[in-house]
Amino acid sequence: MAKMDKKWVILCSTAIGAIYAAGYFSTETQAALQNPVSYNHGSLETGRSQIKSNYKNGTFYGTGSNRRGLIQVAVTLKNDKITDVEISDFGMHYSEKDVVDLPQEVIQLQSAQVKNVSGATYSTQAFKDAVQNALAQALNS
Amino acid sequence: MMRKTKLFMDTVVDIQVVVTNHPRNKAAAAIDRAFEVFRKVEQACSRFSQDSEVMQATRQIQTAVKISPFLFEPLRFALEVAEVTDGMLDPTIGKVMEDHGFNQHYLTGETFHSPVSESASYQDIILDDERRTLFINKPLVIDLGAVAKGFAIDLAAHELKDFEGFIVNAGGDLFAGGLDGQGRKWKIGIQHPMHKDQVIQTIELSNEAVCTSGSYERKSPLRADVHHLINPNTKCSSNEWTSCSVISRYAFMADAFSTAAFLLPIDRGEALLSNVNLMGILIDRDLKVYRVGGDLI
Repeated sequence: MAKMDKKWVILCSTAIGAIYAAGYFSTETQAALQNPVSYNHGSLETGRSQIKSNYKNGTFYGTGSNRRGLIQVAVTLKNDKITDVEISDFGMHYSEKDVVDLPQEVIQLQSAQVKNVSGATYSTQAFKDAVQNALAQALNS
Repeated sequence: MMRKTKLFMDTVVDIQVVVTNHPRNKAAAAIDRAFEVFRKVEQACSRFSQDSEVMQATRQIQTAVKISPFLFEPLRFALEVAEVTDGMLDPTIGKVMEDHGFNQHYLTGETFHSPVSESASYQDIILDDERRTLFINKPLVIDLGAVAKGFAIDLAAHELKDFEGFIVNAGGDLFAGGLDGQGRKWKIGIQHPMHKDQVIQTIELSNEAVCTSGSYERKSPLRADVHHLINPNTKCSSNEWTSCSVISRYAFMADAFSTAAFLLPIDRGEALLSNVNLMGILIDRDLKVYRVGGDLI
C-alpha cells in the first residue's frame, strides 16, 4: 500500500469530520427519516393553487426488464414526491447461491463470479420502465 | 450477508454488510443511515433539482451564501482538484454538460436549461472557510459529478465502520470495508471496457476504495461521439483512455482523481497520480493496461 499525499488525506478526513462535528448528521437524520425532503416530480409542480394530489402516498411496486432479466422496484411517494426507490428484485445480480452451486472450474472461467465490480458509473436507464410502472400503480384516478 | 439496493444520484447504490456477528436489526439500521447519507449529499449537490442546495445557492450572484457541509466540503474538494489539474477538472462545467444533453433528472424526467453563459471557470467560485459561505462572481452551473458520489461513499462507509465487512458500491465506484464473509480481502473486478459481462483485472481491497472513470457509459443523448467526461477547454470529451481506475483510502480522492486522470493527457495523468501517491489502473483504447504507483498484486 503506497503512502498518500498528506494534504489530500487531511482534506478528506476534515470533510468527513465536518459532517459529524457537533453531531451534524446524527441529529438531523432522525428528522430527515421521518420527513424526507425530496424531489419535485417535474410535471406535477402544483404552483400556488393547491390542487388534488396526483399520486397516492405509500410504496408501490413496478416491474421492468433489462438485458439480464426482470427487475422490480419499490417506489415510495409522499405528497406527490418520490422519496425512495429501492430495487426489490435485481435481475442483474447473481445471488450467492447461484455461484456456490457452480463447479469450481466454471467459477474460475466466469468473470461474473467477481461479484463486486468497479466500472464507469452506469446510469439508472435500465430502471426507468420499472419506476414508471410503479408510478402508474400509484396514480389517483 | 445483508444487502439492499437503491437509486441515488442517477445510479444504483448497493450496500452489503457481513452480519455474522451482529443482530440483523442493527445492520438494517446502519444500512438505512448509509442510504440517508446519499440522500443528503444528493439534495445538497445535485444540479438536476432546482430545489437542491447548490441550485438555490447559485441563484444569488456576488452574494456570500451560507451553505451546509454537505455542499461546502465537496465543493472545496472540487476546487482543490481544479487547482491541481489547472482547471482540467472544473466544477463550473455544469452548463456545458447541460448543453450536451446531460440535463435530465433521472426520476422525474424534468430537463433544465439554465440561463447562464458558458464562460465561467472555477476561479469564479470563492469559498470562505471561516464563515462557510459560497460566493460566485457570475451566473454558473456547478457540477459536482466528480466528487459528490465519492464523498457520499466515504460517509456511508463511516456509518458502517463497526461491521467486520461491508461494501458500498455506487454504480461501479466502491469502498470495500474490512473483510468479506470468508475473512478474506474483498475481491473486486475492474470492468472490461468492451465486454460488459467481463472483468479485465482483479484487485483485492480492504478498507480501500476504487473508483473508475470510463468513456463506455453515459454517452450524450445529442451526439454519439460525446460522453460525460468533458474537457472544459475544448468542450469535447477526452478519448485517450477508455478506463481509469484509482485506488485510495478515500473514495473522495479515488472518484476525483480517476476523473482527473481520464481528462488529462496520458503523461500528465500518470504524473498526477504518482504525485498524490495513488494507485491507478489505466486502460487505453487498444485495451493495454497500465498500472501506476503502488504495488498491486
